[in-house]
Amino acid sequence: MLFKYNHQDAIELTQAMLSLAPDVVATTPEDDDDDGVIPAELRRWLVQLRLLEPVPFAYLVADSDLLPLESIRWFYLDRRWTDALVQGVLSVGTANSDDRTHLAAQYPAIRDELDREERNRRRARTDPRLDGGGGPVSGFVLRSKAVSGWPAVHVRAFSGDPAAGAAKDTDNPPNDMEVRLLRLERLAPAVLLCLFDGIPRTVHIEEPRQGVQFGFDMTNQPGGTTKAQLEVRNAETFEYVRPRRMLDVKFRHRGASGVVDIKRLEDELADIDDTLGPDDEMNSGEYALQLVQFPWRQVWGDMANADEPAANEELVFKPVISYRAIVRDAFLKGD
Amino acid sequence: MGVGKGKFLLYSKIDPPLTAGTYRFTAKQVLGAEGMDEDDLRVEQLETHVRVRSPLYVLPPDQVLSTFPPAGREGAFGARLPQIVIKRRTLPWERDLDPIDMAQVDPEAELDDAPWLALVVVAQGEAELKPNQPIDQCVTPGVTIPGLADAEVGNALHIRKSMVDRIFPTQQEVHLLAHARQVDLDDTELMMGDDDGFLSVVIANRLPLPGRGDDGEDVPVKYLACLVNLCGQFHSLPPKAPTPPADVLVTTFPLVQLATEVTVATQDKLVMGTLPPQALDVLPKADVSGTVIRTNVVNPQAKAAYEAQPGWGATSASRGTKDLYVEMARDFGRGGAVSLDPDRIIAALDPVLRFPVLIHWSFTSFGDETFESLMKGLDSGLLGTRGAPNPDKPKENPESSPGRLPLEVVETGHVGLPHRLRRGDEVRSWYRGPLLPHPADEAADRLPLAHAADQIRVVVPDGREDVSLAAAFEIGRLLGLSRPSMVAALMRWRQLGFQQARLAGVVGSGILDGLADVIGDVDRFLGGRLGAAVAEHIVASPEDILGNPAPLVTAGVPVLDEAPNKVLARGLGLPAAAFEGEPGLVLEKLRGAEVKLPGLDLQVQPGLLKDALAATLDARFSRASIAALAPTLTEDVLTDVSGVPLDLGLALGGLDLGPAVLGGLAPGPIESGAFQPHGKGVDALDGLIEEQDRLADEADDEGGA
Repeated sequence: MLFKYNHQDAIELTQAMLSLAPDVVATTPEDDDDDGVIPAELRRWLVQLRLLEPVPFAYLVADSDLLPLESIRWFYLDRRWTDALVQGVLSVGTANSDDRTHLAAQYPAIRDELDREERNRRRARTDPRLDGGGGPVSGFVLRSKAVSGWPAVHVRAFSGDPAAGAAKDTDNPPNDMEVRLLRLERLAPAVLLCLFDGIPRTVHIEEPRQGVQFGFDMTNQPGGTTKAQLEVRNAETFEYVRPRRMLDVKFRHRGASGVVDIKRLEDELADIDDTLGPDDEMNSGEYALQLVQFPWRQVWGDMANADEPAANEELVFKPVISYRAIVRDAFLKGD
Repeated sequence: MGVGKGKFLLYSKIDPPLTAGTYRFTAKQVLGAEGMDEDDLRVEQLETHVRVRSPLYVLPPDQVLSTFPPAGREGAFGARLPQIVIKRRTLPWERDLDPIDMAQVDPEAELDDAPWLALVVVAQGEAELKPNQPIDQCVTPGVTIPGLADAEVGNALHIRKSMVDRIFPTQQEVHLLAHARQVDLDDTELMMGDDDGFLSVVIANRLPLPGRGDDGEDVPVKYLACLVNLCGQFHSLPPKAPTPPADVLVTTFPLVQLATEVTVATQDKLVMGTLPPQALDVLPKADVSGTVIRTNVVNPQAKAAYEAQPGWGATSASRGTKDLYVEMARDFGRGGAVSLDPDRIIAALDPVLRFPVLIHWSFTSFGDETFESLMKGLDSGLLGTRGAPNPDKPKENPESSPGRLPLEVVETGHVGLPHRLRRGDEVRSWYRGPLLPHPADEAADRLPLAHAADQIRVVVPDGREDVSLAAAFEIGRLLGLSRPSMVAALMRWRQLGFQQARLAGVVGSGILDGLADVIGDVDRFLGGRLGAAVAEHIVASPEDILGNPAPLVTAGVPVLDEAPNKVLARGLGLPAAAFEGEPGLVLEKLRGAEVKLPGLDLQVQPGLLKDALAATLDARFSRASIAALAPTLTEDVLTDVSGVPLDLGLALGGLDLGPAVLGGLAPGPIESGAFQPHGKGVDALDGLIEEQDRLADEADDEGGA
């Protein structure tokens, strides 16, 4: 080192330089492609980094024992860690103390911009840009065969319990209750990482809705046989009939394995009250209605509601079939 | 008409305005006017021929919105009826069934409502799918399908009548298995890329149950789902399901028998599909109690491994959709129940029927793990929770993995990891990733800017280091460096932003005004003058500005543990006493000491060492250069060149590098006697020592003077 240079001098020098550097004017980018304190291209990548996208998995979960097979692990995101990550990127190519001085002057504005832009990451194109600094971020890592076997699971998070209180409509919860997802990604065939913009109280993980499926509840019987049951629904309201009625599914006599006696099942269904529309015969629409099976929705959250089966039932995905409309369109108008 | 998000409407049927076929429209116009006859204003009638087309033998894949179970997937599909969702809402009702034998049609069959399509699920061995048949081969002989063919070749399902009775939907059931559906266009999850929100759905009548082996274990069973065309053959379907003596409330799992012994070589042929059909005996028994699948697999794992690479049997990677369909039908393409027995009596009683297959896909049903059971079985906890040991599967317990230290994790989420310091020490440090088991302290100050990872290394009270943040900084830096475009963007941003800021800072700060007295006006010579001023100050009083030059070499750690003379003595094989005392004394002792030489019979003369070495080096150099040039050199050139030293001939003669070189000395060319053993003359080392002595003497002389 050629110059006499000690720590005290360095601090004084830095302060002097900082007083010289112009104030950083934090401009809020209006658009995803606008440059803010840092260029948009750089910002986009830093935001990805803040959401841990390129970070090797071993840095996230340091030991495989922390994430055993068939487990879900919940976490809060460490802002200091992600800050350090961004600082590491910004340190690239700071050749001299002058660069560092300027970087130090810019850094608070960069950090604020990233806090803000991080929230805009998974925003729908049509939604307005979100503002406001970074609140807490939380999430989960899921390692399960359910991730590999059912790609594209749905994850939704709520700041309250959508099944409790006034908000009974699980499928259209009030907007302010839904917690946005910042990231939902399969890191490995069987590992799913999800980040929430906030701390949810209830999280729903739902079987992918690959269309609506038709089927039965199966119970294995001794002797290499199995039995299928169907819970009967009211054709008008789509509710299960009360009292609940489980119908044993008949299989075809002298049929191949698994061949259902569709006609006999239909006859039995038709004999039950409330399963038919205005028409006396059961048609294929009504028949399909009885067979609809909905994707399973696993609810994580407040255990207060878990004990009541009725409350839990509310949480299961249930689109309403407007049966009246079917009647009007398909029968009354004539088909 | 909107449906509403999350809702959908079901229709039992959507009739097309026109079913498929050819039509003739006749347009007439009748004009009238006073005093005019009708014939005077006659307008020629217009005849328009219209052809309404609809798939007949082949369903274009783009008409399929989704299938369940998904094609090629393996999973627990046993509780769901397979289905196919078609984009065109009217497709299942676009054709008339037109059974050729109305006598065989059940009076209860709702022919008007029935679709002309049925989804049939076939297990392995129950039927045979013949791909790429001419379309007249696709239907049972004697049956003609009305309508214009839409393809030259189609796929055909060859199936015995007895099997049709067992697995096809009955005539009473067909109309229940197709419906139309309207979903909301905005609900992308339900809609999945359709354009108008209207879909038609065909459901199968069979649950694809997983198989059971002889030992009762679950065995994967491959099923083929075929969307078959029933036109003209509706009468072949069973009129209605047989009335059972008692309700059939249970169904058996298909029994999979590993029947045929297959050698490894045959296994290859089996997979490649090159086995002659008669080598296979997979005729299923007419077993009423359940489906029996005999499969020729000796080693199920080997089979699975083959099936994992569907490209095995295909010739190239660029397989078209067509090949894919052939591939999916592969296991159903040979040795089925149908192709074997030419017996006419059986053929008459149990004829082989053929149905055109519009589209088919295969899937494997296995296991009973459902999404629900997996989700309910999840081990939930905050990150940092150890997995609960599973007593059923001791091998999966974390503690049982041999040769591993137990996981060291504390309540804050820190994990103890082995850490190798830069100096090489092996220690254990704490690390915690970005995922915390506790809420982050939002009120705390944010991390101040660090310029190097070492700035944020922390030593925690237990004396170990916490490298979490330092590791984050470092991986961030490496990730940044690994992306050249990001490095470039950073540099560009610095160059533009920082230099402007620097200039603006200097110009706008007023610092120049204060300096004006010292440096004069701000002009283009400012830089030069500033430099000169700095240099002037440095020259005038260097001690104020410049420190001492940094030493070129920093003091190192002592390498030797004992006194240097002892080490030296031991290394040279001399008594330690030889290196004790005054330098002059040591020199004397060394002169007297016997130097141990390797047992070579060499004699060294002073000066010869250098010459000998030079010669050897020259020789090697020339050999190397000639070897490099050899391909381009000719004999003539070589003889012409003068001064090519030494053993050129040897080098050219072959690979031999001439006389062996020992210790840098070439013993061969030097005449014997040139080297002398030590003591009889003076060698190079002696020369050096002499020189040293001479210098010492001179110094002494000067000192004396």
